[in-house]
Amino acid sequence: MPSLLAVFDKPGSVAEVAHRLKNRGYGDLEVYSPAAFPELDDIVDAGPSRVRVWTLVGGLLGAVTGYALTIWMANDWQLMIGGKPFSSIPPYTVIAFELTILFGGLLTLLGLLVVAKLPSGGFGKLSKAYSARFSAEEFGLVVGCKERDVLEVDALLRDYDAKEVTLVEA
Amino acid sequence: MAEIDRRDFLKLIGAGAGAAAAAGCSDRVEKLIPYVVQPEVISPGVPLYYASTCRECPAACGLHVKTLDGRPVKLEGNPQHPINRGALCARGQTAIGRTYHPDRFRGPMLRNGSDQLEPISWETGIELLSLEIAKAPDKAHVLGGDPGDTAGKLIDRFVRAVGAAGRTVYEPFASEALRAATGNVFGVNSEPWFDLTDADLVVDFGNEILDTGLSPVEHQRQLAQARDIATHPGGGARFVYVGPRLSQTASNSDEWLAARPGSEGILALGLARVAIESGGGTEQHRALLDGVLAGADVDTVAEKTDLPAETIVRLGRALANAGKPVAVPPGVAVSSRRAIAATAAVLILNDVIGAVGDSVRIPPENESRRRASYRDVLALVNAIEDGRVGVLLVHDCNPVYSLPKASGFEAALAEVPFVVSFASMVDETAERAHLVLPDHTPLESWGDLVPRDGLRCLIQPTIRPLYDTRALGDTLLDTARAMGEEMASKLPSGSFRTLLEEAWSDTDLTAALARGGEFSQPVAAPVALAEGAARLEVVEPVFSGEGDFALLPFPHSFLYDGRGANLPWLQEIPDPVVKVTWEPWAEISLETAERLGLEFGEVVTIETSAGRIEVPVHPRGGIRDDVVAVPIGQGHSAGRYASRAGDGRAGEARGANVIEILPAGVDESGGRAWLIEKARLHKTGRHQRLPLLQFSDNKRGRQLGEAIALADLAAAEQGEQEGRLEAGHHGSHEIREEFQASADAAVGILYRWGMTVDLDRCTGCTACVAACYVENNIPVVGEEEIRRVRPMSWLRIERYIGDGEPELVTGRNHPTRNREELGDVDVRHSPMMCQQCGSAPCEPVCPVFATYHSEEGLNGMVYNRCIGTRYCAANCPYKVRRFNFFDNALTKWPEPMRLGLNPDVTVRAQGVMEKCTFCIQRIQAARQIAKAEGRPIRDGEIVMACQQACPTQAIQFGNLRDPNSAIVKNANQPKRAYHALQMVNTRPAVTYLAKVVRDPVEG
Amino acid sequence: MTPPPAMSVAETLHPAAEPADTGGSKINRDILRVMEGVSLGYFGLLAIVVLVVAWAASLWALQVYEGLGLAGYSVPIFWGVYIVTFVFWIGIAHAGTLISAILYLFRAKWRNSINRSAEAMTVFAVLTAAQFLGIHVGRLWKAYFILPYPNQRGLWVNFKSPLMWDTFAISTYATISVIFLYVGLIPDLAVARDRATGWRKLLYTALALGWQGTTRQWKSHSRSVLHLSGLATPLVLSVHSVVSWDFAMTVVPGWHATIFAPYFVAGAIFSGMAMVITVMVPVRRIYHLETYITAYHFDNMAKFLLLTSWIVSYSYITEYFVAWYSGVEAEQSAFWLRAFGPYWISTWVMITCNAIIPQILWFKKLRTHVPTLFVVATFVNIGMWFERYVIIISGLSREYDPAVWGVYTPSWVELSILAGGFAFFAMLFIIFLKIFPVIAITEVKELAIHERAHAAEEAH
Repeated sequence: MPSLLAVFDKPGSVAEVAHRLKNRGYGDLEVYSPAAFPELDDIVDAGPSRVRVWTLVGGLLGAVTGYALTIWMANDWQLMIGGKPFSSIPPYTVIAFELTILFGGLLTLLGLLVVAKLPSGGFGKLSKAYSARFSAEEFGLVVGCKERDVLEVDALLRDYDAKEVTLVEA
Repeated sequence: MAEIDRRDFLKLIGAGAGAAAAAGCSDRVEKLIPYVVQPEVISPGVPLYYASTCRECPAACGLHVKTLDGRPVKLEGNPQHPINRGALCARGQTAIGRTYHPDRFRGPMLRNGSDQLEPISWETGIELLSLEIAKAPDKAHVLGGDPGDTAGKLIDRFVRAVGAAGRTVYEPFASEALRAATGNVFGVNSEPWFDLTDADLVVDFGNEILDTGLSPVEHQRQLAQARDIATHPGGGARFVYVGPRLSQTASNSDEWLAARPGSEGILALGLARVAIESGGGTEQHRALLDGVLAGADVDTVAEKTDLPAETIVRLGRALANAGKPVAVPPGVAVSSRRAIAATAAVLILNDVIGAVGDSVRIPPENESRRRASYRDVLALVNAIEDGRVGVLLVHDCNPVYSLPKASGFEAALAEVPFVVSFASMVDETAERAHLVLPDHTPLESWGDLVPRDGLRCLIQPTIRPLYDTRALGDTLLDTARAMGEEMASKLPSGSFRTLLEEAWSDTDLTAALARGGEFSQPVAAPVALAEGAARLEVVEPVFSGEGDFALLPFPHSFLYDGRGANLPWLQEIPDPVVKVTWEPWAEISLETAERLGLEFGEVVTIETSAGRIEVPVHPRGGIRDDVVAVPIGQGHSAGRYASRAGDGRAGEARGANVIEILPAGVDESGGRAWLIEKARLHKTGRHQRLPLLQFSDNKRGRQLGEAIALADLAAAEQGEQEGRLEAGHHGSHEIREEFQASADAAVGILYRWGMTVDLDRCTGCTACVAACYVENNIPVVGEEEIRRVRPMSWLRIERYIGDGEPELVTGRNHPTRNREELGDVDVRHSPMMCQQCGSAPCEPVCPVFATYHSEEGLNGMVYNRCIGTRYCAANCPYKVRRFNFFDNALTKWPEPMRLGLNPDVTVRAQGVMEKCTFCIQRIQAARQIAKAEGRPIRDGEIVMACQQACPTQAIQFGNLRDPNSAIVKNANQPKRAYHALQMVNTRPAVTYLAKVVRDPVEG
Repeated sequence: MTPPPAMSVAETLHPAAEPADTGGSKINRDILRVMEGVSLGYFGLLAIVVLVVAWAASLWALQVYEGLGLAGYSVPIFWGVYIVTFVFWIGIAHAGTLISAILYLFRAKWRNSINRSAEAMTVFAVLTAAQFLGIHVGRLWKAYFILPYPNQRGLWVNFKSPLMWDTFAISTYATISVIFLYVGLIPDLAVARDRATGWRKLLYTALALGWQGTTRQWKSHSRSVLHLSGLATPLVLSVHSVVSWDFAMTVVPGWHATIFAPYFVAGAIFSGMAMVITVMVPVRRIYHLETYITAYHFDNMAKFLLLTSWIVSYSYITEYFVAWYSGVEAEQSAFWLRAFGPYWISTWVMITCNAIIPQILWFKKLRTHVPTLFVVATFVNIGMWFERYVIIISGLSREYDPAVWGVYTPSWVELSILAGGFAFFAMLFIIFLKIFPVIAITEVKELAIHERAHAAEEAH
């Protein structure tokens, strides 16, 4: 199944054409962009990113671990310290807090890797359509379509002043 | 790529394991060798105590030598001994170091051609000595200190047997003046002793009775007893000190009369006169008025002593009216060329106020205990110079150090063809000897002493001699035998020990050994004023040389006459008065410092007719303007610690030796005089940073070393709070609600260990500090480290003057003794050790639980766990934690010192924190016994090392959870009890009892 | 396959295939150029810092062997230059996260051109600081006791100890900073990857995780950055609070104060910002980044300096007021002696550098005059080091018991190791310059492209 690569200069036009394509039933899209642009966010998958879940879980896990760790250890071998109770919450809160952040951060990273499917393309081997220009300043839109639709999609892309359109694979 | 096959893999594993194992072995391995035949009395780990006697000063305190597995590890006072009753001073505590001293002679030594001492056999040594004596017996001479009773007699017999020229007994601080004066005044040539037990007024004419005087431990105990606030609501005995400087003894007085140095005698007469005029004394005494007391009218005396007439009158009347007054005659520091007259004057005063025969006991004449005469020593010097001495046998003394250059002894000694030293340890004299036949140390020898009538003290060995040494007595006997049959026949057969046993054959020796000797009530001869007394003439002392200052050499609290200088602890423990260590210093008044433009640590040249020395000055308020005072005891040129040999600068003296600039001053009796020379001070402009361990004596009104006026104490109970306020708890914001010290231990535990420290009893003598050092294997870190202020002592004595006030100091802090004022005493000696706080600031901050609260309320310290963050020390408000900045355990205990370590206390490694934990090893020992007997630990069963040493029992230890324990009773004195720095609210287990400030005596 | 022909780094960064020279690729080149070739000067500098580090390291080894006696400690001053320096570096470490996280949340776009270097500094500063904890302890070989690992003693650690909090706070901070830096780096690494060859190609390929800038990736990327910022913001505030509690939790007069947490945090941001300026000014100059780091950025950083300088000054005043108002003699004495006692010089250096000198930043001319700003920033760095010195040393030297008051002077060993700390930090940063883009390429690019788009629309 062939797919076309169109190169754009402005993120705006990418967004518009992508919208148009979707309406025309061409759902198989991929966008390469040199930087993050909110207008492109929802082209491929709409809805909020699922990274947030990871962060939340991490945070909660950290908090619980923090308190559990400190309180259990303090009572596993009870030592009198400066006349303070064995399970003294205020000092342990500091630990709990730090672990909240730590676990939160770690799981956020993990979340990023999972959600963004990184490491992708087995490192060196990047997808055919991708090229260095997309890490410079240009935008690439890859549209997968049936043989017979190629011409139409091509025309459509050019309508939205695509600098060039090439057939990535036949 | 590199292939790793199974073989290589296994090799690697092996290597790894090997490395790991090697790492594991890196620690030193101590071999434990079990007894083949278990000695009957010794069971490993269980201490054995032997009674013996201390040889550090003439007082002869009784010892209990604690031995573990055949090694003495600690010296403690013998409770049965009438002199010290269980206490022991700093010098006594550290005497154990003599046995384990790295400077000890390993065996007999002979000076060879290249002027080096080289080891020889005893046979050769004895042979040589006998031959040398045989050459010209009448040219042999024995010079020595007090070797003890039997040994002394043996030496005399030896001298007679070989027909030697004679024997000179030499003690630098011998009390010849006292002996002679007693002869003049009462016609009895003997040394009186002074009993302060139930005196109500003590006037001390410059004798350091609490420090280096006649019998320090005994007098501290007696005075404390006489002043015990519990039994004397009126405050007990008043203590008046006369002397030019605020010495350690003076700092414990109620009134300090800074009389002109040397005017003590005149003052005594003046007081006697006032006393008689105000109805004191007998008819016979009135006769004195136109005799010896004729010239001693108040105004003359006031003028000569530089004291207000009013004071003299008041004190004189007080003496007359007092129930049981006693006057103590001048001591070493103020013994002038007129020492006898001065002493006699004081004895007369005693007679006038009726102390003689009561507080002042005069034993019957007894020539045998005549110590020494300085004049004889000088005669010996002449004899040497005339070539009348061929062989000089020196024992138990170090004359090259302790005799002034002016006496010419050192020069003369070089003339002696053959000098034999019996020293067990290197010293200046032994260094100049041709032959060294080392004696045992006291802990290795047999011996006996008769410090005073009625007391026969035994010395017994507590360890097999470490080295190839031989008792002095045996050496002499062997020498005699080596000199032939008929010579041997003149002396007893058998060993020195058998001789001793014979000497004690009249008693049950075994029992005596267990007791420490034979103690009976001394007999005091009834005496009356002799004819001579009335005609006695007392004039001011004669000073030789010129200068604005009287040179006042005073015995160093720890080094004494210099014999303590080679014991590391005595060098490192700060002087009780100025807190200086390791170095001598020159005390001058602030005014003098001002006038000469000298500041602390600036080196001055002290010039006398006999020479000049350079010493850093220590300006202070507590000394007269016309005096420069320098401690005796430093400036040795031999000895690992006494000199700088330990710092790799062998032969270099540690500071200046004040004796060197003294002329060979003799008093009327031929005794040695010290206060004899005027001195000039010259600025050198050089500065020397003194190793000092307390910078400020201003407690800024904080809750440390508190005091309460007797009046306030006596005042009717006004409720605790107010009482506390008066006890010095300044500022209402610092008052916390009462807490139960006993609460701070685990629930259901029988004990919460605690301590009380009675500042009214504490004299600041520092015996506790020394005891702590020895008991807990505390390393002596040396002068440089002390200069960096890194002491390791777990216990220190803080010395504050008055309540102090917040002064707005600016610039780098200089040591301030500037709160002292002439003639004014408000000194607070306050021992500071770990307070074992209930809510200890040090505990919560340690990340690794290296310090924690034990179930019994102790603030435990786990050395192995410590990683050295030093957070605990930073957070300790009392600053009682000590850090091992270097590997002290390895480097500070040269062989054979390690043998003397207390096996019950671990030594601490580099990088760990350490501190006082209430001698936890002693607690455990007591617990074992109690456990075996299935009972709780009794009150008073556990005795801390510091408590054990304390001559005045100022320190008490016990269980706060036992309402009947001594410390709970002690602490229950709302008006005196306080906790150090209560404002921090650390809930300490140590309760201090405020010093009681007694109002001056009234006429 | 045959290895690629040998090419200079410069060439590898400019493949012939590069399209027309416009915004995005220009940015790429400008910034990637920083990583190009190594001048003699660069080597010289690197050599110097490496030597200093080696010197300090050998002294540290000696100290571990001989004992901490080599430092200037004396009773009662058990904490010295090492802890001072530790706190100093922790402070420095705060700028990065502040700029990346807090300013990110505040949508302060000007951060884009400095946040990368700031984040890098954070990581390096934390690493440096952590070492000083190791240098400080008496038994380094037992320092692992501080970790709550299961052991045959069955003994855990004391979570009540502020040092324990430190351990957790700092390790957390280090981890989060690294994550933050790395996540930010991924797209830039892709940029570098697409333009490099040789070992750099391998390195960047591995680190870029096959980033292709697909929308899915960008979306979760910005999401993660947002979340990380959300986490890092309270973290950055907590870390220096915890460090300040090392002191505030004690009973030491002059330490035991509730103001410490905010006081230290402000101080940290103050010094951190100053350090960013100190480091960025030369980098900007040497690598001609004037177009990316403009007067505008410096102006903003200067304003930050001024603000935090005022917070710090206010804290100084409060400390003295509270000491006086408390009526506790010990507190009052401690503060009197702080200003007029043995450490008066340090105290006045601190006040001059932190409270007085920054006041010149009221003038926009001076704020935007880079040399002046550089000088001011340097003074602030000095001043902030002395602030910690004054707090720690003067606090310990004048405590409750006047009998054990003391004076502390750092030993040459301590000073050498202190210098080693700076050298270590410099070393890491210098190396970083040559391996990673010192400015966040994609973030700058984002702005650039936006602007270009706007320009285009206006052109219509």
